[in-house]
Amino acid sequence: MKIGIDVGGTFTDFFLVRDGEAPRIHKALSTPQDPSIAVIQGMTELAEMLDPPMSLEQFASELETIVHGTTVTTNATLTRRGAKSGLITTEGLRDALEMRRGIREEQYNNRYTNVKPLVERYLRAGVGGRLDRNGREVEPLNLEDIKAAIELFKAEEVKAVSICFMNAFANPAHEQAAAELVRELMPEAYLTVSTDLLPSIRFYERLSTTALNSYIGPILDHYLNQLVGRLSEISFNGILLIMQSNGGVMSPQVARENAALTLLSGPAGGPGAGHIYAKAHEYNNSLTVDMGGTSFEAALVVDSPIMVNDGVIDRHRIALPMLGIHTIGAGGGSIGWIDEGGLLRMGPQSAGAAPGPVSYQKGGTLPACTDANLVLGYLNPGFFAGGKMSLDVDAARAAIKEHIGDPMGLTIEEAAAGMYRINCNNMAQGVREITIKRGFDPREFPMIVAGGAGPIHSCLICSELDMPFMIVPRESSILCAVGMLMGDIKHDFVRTFVSPLEGADWDRLNGLIDSMISEGDKMLEEEGIPAERREAHVKFDCRYLKQYHEVSFVVPQDALKAGDAATIAQAFHAEHNRLYGYSLEDNDEEVQVEIINVRVQAVGITEKPEIATSAKAGSDPSSAQKGGRSMYIPEYNEFRETTVYDGHKLEHGNQLTGPAMIEQITTAIFVSADYDCVVDSYGSFVVYKKGREDLVSKTIEGGSA
Amino acid sequence: MSNIDPILLSVYARTFKSITDEMSMSVEKTARSPILCEAKDFVTGLYDAQGNMLEQTENLPILAFSLAPVCKYILEFFEGDINEGDVIFHNDVFSMGNQNNDVAVYKPIFLDGELVGWSAVKGHQADIGGNVPGGYNPDATEVWQEALRIPPVKVYEKGKLRKDVWGLIFANIRFDMVQHDMRAQMGACTVGERRLLELLGKYGIESFNAHKLALFDSTRQMMESEIFKIPNGRYSGEGMVYYDGHHLGSEFTIRVDIDVYDKSIKFDYSRTDAQTDGFVNGTYTSSASATILTLLQMINPDIPHNEGMIEPLEIIIPEGTILNASYPKATTFGNHLCPPNADAIMRALAPAIPDNVTAGWNNLFCSLTSARDEEKDDTYVDIFFMGQKGGSGGMKGTDGYDHIGMIDASGGMVDQDYEMFEQQTPHLLKKHEYTTDSAGAGQWRGGLGVETIYTMGSEDTQFVTFGDGDFEPAFGLFGGHDSTLNSIKLTYPDGTELVPLNKSLHKGVPKGTRYHQFAGGGGGWGKPENRDRDVLKDEVRNGIISEETARDVYGLEG
Repeated sequence: MKIGIDVGGTFTDFFLVRDGEAPRIHKALSTPQDPSIAVIQGMTELAEMLDPPMSLEQFASELETIVHGTTVTTNATLTRRGAKSGLITTEGLRDALEMRRGIREEQYNNRYTNVKPLVERYLRAGVGGRLDRNGREVEPLNLEDIKAAIELFKAEEVKAVSICFMNAFANPAHEQAAAELVRELMPEAYLTVSTDLLPSIRFYERLSTTALNSYIGPILDHYLNQLVGRLSEISFNGILLIMQSNGGVMSPQVARENAALTLLSGPAGGPGAGHIYAKAHEYNNSLTVDMGGTSFEAALVVDSPIMVNDGVIDRHRIALPMLGIHTIGAGGGSIGWIDEGGLLRMGPQSAGAAPGPVSYQKGGTLPACTDANLVLGYLNPGFFAGGKMSLDVDAARAAIKEHIGDPMGLTIEEAAAGMYRINCNNMAQGVREITIKRGFDPREFPMIVAGGAGPIHSCLICSELDMPFMIVPRESSILCAVGMLMGDIKHDFVRTFVSPLEGADWDRLNGLIDSMISEGDKMLEEEGIPAERREAHVKFDCRYLKQYHEVSFVVPQDALKAGDAATIAQAFHAEHNRLYGYSLEDNDEEVQVEIINVRVQAVGITEKPEIATSAKAGSDPSSAQKGGRSMYIPEYNEFRETTVYDGHKLEHGNQLTGPAMIEQITTAIFVSADYDCVVDSYGSFVVYKKGREDLVSKTIEGGSA
Repeated sequence: MSNIDPILLSVYARTFKSITDEMSMSVEKTARSPILCEAKDFVTGLYDAQGNMLEQTENLPILAFSLAPVCKYILEFFEGDINEGDVIFHNDVFSMGNQNNDVAVYKPIFLDGELVGWSAVKGHQADIGGNVPGGYNPDATEVWQEALRIPPVKVYEKGKLRKDVWGLIFANIRFDMVQHDMRAQMGACTVGERRLLELLGKYGIESFNAHKLALFDSTRQMMESEIFKIPNGRYSGEGMVYYDGHHLGSEFTIRVDIDVYDKSIKFDYSRTDAQTDGFVNGTYTSSASATILTLLQMINPDIPHNEGMIEPLEIIIPEGTILNASYPKATTFGNHLCPPNADAIMRALAPAIPDNVTAGWNNLFCSLTSARDEEKDDTYVDIFFMGQKGGSGGMKGTDGYDHIGMIDASGGMVDQDYEMFEQQTPHLLKKHEYTTDSAGAGQWRGGLGVETIYTMGSEDTQFVTFGDGDFEPAFGLFGGHDSTLNSIKLTYPDGTELVPLNKSLHKGVPKGTRYHQFAGGGGGWGKPENRDRDVLKDEVRNGIISEETARDVYGLEG
């Protein structure tokens, strides 16, 4: 028995897989003051739901694995409630952390202020000692300066210490010496050494990442203590794994030391999970979107999830490899407003859960996306959250009339349709960020739709981007929890190795890579992964000589061992061309390729549960019909009477013709006029462009399987 | 205008912005010169068939408002001989370029054989020929000593590279890197072309044309309502320029008279001093850009940047003044007349809109080194961005921004990463920190300036300074104090000290020379004694404000 647990801001989601049974979904209210309370509460409730019901202790003792995603570090960063931290850095350069390279993100906005630094200035100690660009010592490390800094930190009750020295990527000796002193004199402090966490070039990025790690390290440590404590109270003896930002999982011990790896722990399960539903249709690529109350997240999988090294959280750089999850402020709570030029805009301001959209009747007065969806007939006022909550249509209409319709000279319906279309356009632009801007054509990807509000908007988003195919899994409202059981153990390593590709010292390079691989092996071994389930993937970050930014690409293993620079260069040219539309492969003059960083990802393959499939039940969906109502059809730009189906009664092979509405307790799926829908063997709702039956030939009646 | 879909209008506006942003990312990731990839000294834009601005991404605003006028000039220049597959280069300051080093690529966009728009990218090139690597030549008196002039020229014609033209241009430019960077700019234009055609494919040319005009109209209304908030009247202000590179002690005054009447605003620079003998001269477009970007700092920052934004503005800059030099004067310093120009505008409008102006911003004082990196056996040019970035002025309710740099970039110009700086030059960075008490005191203080020290790593370094702010600090407003001055000092290994003039060139600077720079802070707004005491105590603890200043200037007790 395995369980994926995703702690979110409002709900904690559970996905339970038990041999021989269909997986179970559960949601419990989150307990932000101590999130582990909701974890135990939800497990108690799940145990009672089993047939026959179990006691919590019995349930816990039968659990082999818990995979856990948490937003505690993300929230601590966003609410600026991290640990009081000190920084030991190179003399003369202590302000780099606060300067953030001197940028102001909103250039014309003189009221836009800098973000509060992760370490206050008086706790940023510059110490003597200097290495040059090749890692040669120019000035010996001043240990007295470090001792003085430690004294200050102790007096100020600093909980976490970061060490980051100039050019340490080329030689970690000074950082290690400083770390030794801190460990000796401040053994109780949480310590992050930049070259242990991220030994790559670019001072500010390494510094910011290091300081973030220290800022949230004690917070994560405290939380894991609470969680492990509660789990041992209920006699859980299985394996606890923590979801990390790269889509993999790790042991609690690794997480404690590398807290910054959990900054995307919550949403990181989504892309991997989405991909499983895409694979059922023989896709190796997928695009997962997740639309919640305040934000819309999109991420790509191309064989494996796309990673980035240029993340930002609350305007602080984080340069650890993370899933390329792009977030924009568009969700069910996004508020509609009119700018000074008279144009309709949606978000990024959100009504959130409180006061919420007007129709929730919880005090919200500004029209939100959900209010528009209600006016457009997409939401059933009597069946929201399965009927647990009633929505006030009249209040939604009045707010849209007052704030949008009347000022723009539009009817309430026109205004609501406008809000819907603008929100979908914003989300489509968000999808462009991760596809077109990174050199991928969205039309080649199936869109996997998650989140409660996602499937109402997905047809129009797909239509904006000319995407013909989308999948709404049954588990779409808890997709990240599903993903937690689908992740492998992953550890990323990076070293800076500046050298021309042609004529590189291959023995030294292969030696370096081997040492990184064995470091990963060691960690995987400690995590109980046998040798036959371990893999290592090697990437280089290269650039054309004198270019400024690097391109990361997979290095062919054979070429690496053979020191075959030409083959590796070809892989680089191809990736550069894909990303930026050109390469210098066939240039008249020889253009050198330069290596900057070497990356190794050590992977421990975990056992993954299978999602149950069902047999075909015929194409006729009529037994699931539960009536009809009038709703807005974007293709016709008018309201039409539309059939409504009970999603829980639809079965494998059932076919629907758009426009149609499918209602489930946790989500509503709108199939617009240009699309049709069929239910696949996982029970997912597969929505495809009319006329593109070829995309679902195996699923529709009379298909080959 | 009857067939305007108000919702589709928002879709167009959003999409135009996403196109120019995407072009910008393409340049940032593929160019080579740190000036482009790190400092982001470039802009991208999208224009309609007539050269009207649809949207721009202005990493460095001073370059931005010359793109559209040049686009219109190119149309005129080629008299209709614009064809699919053409790519046009331009930098010429006497045909509306803003600075010689800022070289633009224009790509006409065709749909079914008809010209429907333009994509363009203008970026600061690492070299543009002339007497001095990097282009900043304080000794120059004529344009030919500064740069290769590029009036509109087709480097691609109907899709075919003109090898002869390409060869001619790059035979006159020192670094190969510039060829690659111009390719990166062309690549970004192609990105813009593809995206605009995609949009036209979806909605059609008629819809595009109608909605474009409606968008200009909506933006113009937005701009007019912003101008309407400024009380009617005539407002005058001055900004000072010190030293033209030739005559010691020379001073020049920029004078602006701003007439506001309901929804119109006119900036008249007719009373400004005459042009100089050196390179301290503006061009019409650089000076107009300075005016526009300063105005944009004082109004709703959400306004879209298209033709409609410019329409209500009238800008008069007579030829022959320091802001609009006549042919064939040298002008490379012209972009950097933006800070004193902005000073003049802020001072003028302070009584009219006291809540929306800032106190003075730190003026740019920059330096550039070029030499041979002996260890890497290669040449380098470095514009030392990180050292020159001082603070912005405080305004009512908000402190100035620390270490933001000149107002012409407004925080869009990024510091070199320290480790990348040491990879790309042989210099060793010793210090780059906020300077205590550099902020102009005030209820809302100015932004902090920085102190920088590095040791030069090559023999025979050519060292150039260009800038200002070493005579007059950023000014305070409404009882706020002025800030600190800019300064640069070199100490040679033998102990000789050199305090270079603010526009000067020095050859043969030896290895081991110590470079020491202060970039000043921004001016303060309101009386220092009204500053929040808790904030002040925090600043004292953090060493941003000294105990003495807190006591003597801010009146902090205890």
